[in-house]
Amino acid sequence: MASNLAVAVLNGIVWGLIMALIALGLNLIFGLLHIINMAHGALYMLGAVFSWYVIELTGNYWLALCVAPLAVGLIGLALERGLLRTIEDKPLVTIICTFGIMLVLQQLALTYFGGTARRIALPIPGRFPLFDLQYPVMRIVIAAISAAVMVALWLFLNRTRYGLWMRAVVQDREMAVALGIPVHKVYMWTFVLGSVLAAFSGVLAAPIVSVDFMMGREILIMAFIIVIVGGMGNLWGSVITAVVISLIHGVGSIFVVPSTATVFSLGFMILVLLVRPQGLFGE
Amino acid sequence: MLPDKWKAAAFPLAFVLVAAVLAAVPFFEDLFYQTFLTEVLVWALFAISFDLIFGYVGLLSFGQALFFGLGGYAVAIPTLKLGMGTGSGLLLSVAVPAAFAAFVGFFSVRLTGIHFVIITIIFALIGSTVGETWTSLTGGADGLVFMPPPLDLGIAQLDLMDIRTTYYLVLAIVAISYLFLRRMVRSPLGKVFVAIRENEERARLIGYDVRRYKLLAFVIAGGLSGLAGGLYTLSLKYASATFLHWSVSGHAVVYAIVGGAGTLVGPVLGAGLIMALEHYLVNLLQATDLVVGAVLVSTLLLAPMGIVGFLRGRRK
Repeated sequence: MASNLAVAVLNGIVWGLIMALIALGLNLIFGLLHIINMAHGALYMLGAVFSWYVIELTGNYWLALCVAPLAVGLIGLALERGLLRTIEDKPLVTIICTFGIMLVLQQLALTYFGGTARRIALPIPGRFPLFDLQYPVMRIVIAAISAAVMVALWLFLNRTRYGLWMRAVVQDREMAVALGIPVHKVYMWTFVLGSVLAAFSGVLAAPIVSVDFMMGREILIMAFIIVIVGGMGNLWGSVITAVVISLIHGVGSIFVVPSTATVFSLGFMILVLLVRPQGLFGE
Repeated sequence: MLPDKWKAAAFPLAFVLVAAVLAAVPFFEDLFYQTFLTEVLVWALFAISFDLIFGYVGLLSFGQALFFGLGGYAVAIPTLKLGMGTGSGLLLSVAVPAAFAAFVGFFSVRLTGIHFVIITIIFALIGSTVGETWTSLTGGADGLVFMPPPLDLGIAQLDLMDIRTTYYLVLAIVAISYLFLRRMVRSPLGKVFVAIRENEERARLIGYDVRRYKLLAFVIAGGLSGLAGGLYTLSLKYASATFLHWSVSGHAVVYAIVGGAGTLVGPVLGAGLIMALEHYLVNLLQATDLVVGAVLVSTLLLAPMGIVGFLRGRRK
């Protein structure tokens, strides 16, 4: 029992940190562009799919971790410049538009990557003992990388000029324009950054879950849940919520059927939406 | 400009003409096209029920799949497990989803904009999770296969195992539902819906209980989505928990947007055009969602009011 619990807690933390990265991307894009990006799950899936190709070609996971997010970032750049820019001020239209983009990306993945789920071998195969069970070292590494990316993101937002601009645009868009901040450029790079974060978490998740063209569909909803419960526009709320929800879900699944745990977390979210639509950590 | 008298006659004429052409199809085309058109009509009904809530009231619900799927089960489970007739199954396929819509709507209409979109997705997700888990009742993702008993209309028995009979039944129900919705959106009630869409604050200040009107529209749309699901299940002889998944709502969204939301005729047109496109491209590309997504995105960018809106805009 103790070992099962320990594994569930560790899994919950690892998965929570990956989910936090996905949710951060979604939340950044929402906070700045006010776009609910329904294609976010598809970008996460593309990250994993691209990494599978890179690993097929070179056999190097760490190379995939660098290349795949950049490739998805380029796609994000094209999407923002080509499609979303003209409709950025209409939230409902952008939801429908990104839903269309999601359909296209999923279908492209199905056509070229195929409908079967594929596994990626653990780049670090070692295991360490945990009570009477063995736990893969790789998962701890994945959690550490996620945490490092979050620290880097915090430094970027708080210690660089671009980060300052982004925070300024979130605070008061008109004032930011008046002060000469290139708001459209900030929008563009924020969308790219969000896409890169989604893809990066896709590559990180790939060795844990199997790579599948539909893998982004349920993740998208989980990410929405996290962003709303943590508060839209509140980045650290998202991180805390992601880890807590993932822990509750992981530990809860030992005691009840996973689908019951899902229904309860969905019900909890409805409650949050109704009682505190600004999120648990919002003002 | 046409004289007003002609304009008033235009809709009944066009409606009768389209209905007559559709009614004549079984005499000229083989069973495949009857099955295909049955499906188009069912999705068209789903699309116009979504159009009521999105095109007229301005609420983007991604949760209509919940009512669609429930409508399917409301036909399949009573006939299969309780030995009830198809007629009562069809009535239930309106009543059960409408009751669920009243429950979901009671909470959802308190929220607006993005929050409304997400709460409807979550309700649908709860539905599909329960549906997939409760396999003894729903058959889960594998679904339930059943044989609908003949529909007793008093004067005649309709054999629903016959493709042509099913086609006529679906055609009749969809046509009646269309007229019902058209009458509603042109009534004072419909004007209130549009007023809420255009400016919710102002509608409230005039004295309308906005939430109650939204809830009413949500329940009616839910009932009709359920009817579409019931007819779909009747024509396929199959109900599945996968119909409950929120992404199924995407069909209605795509058809309504591409055809022109808030026009009723647009979503019907959108369903027909896109399903025809899918049908002809499936052999060529095997990638129908690619085309659907691309058509959806380009419509939003090039003709945001959809095909019907685009044509009306040009005529002015």
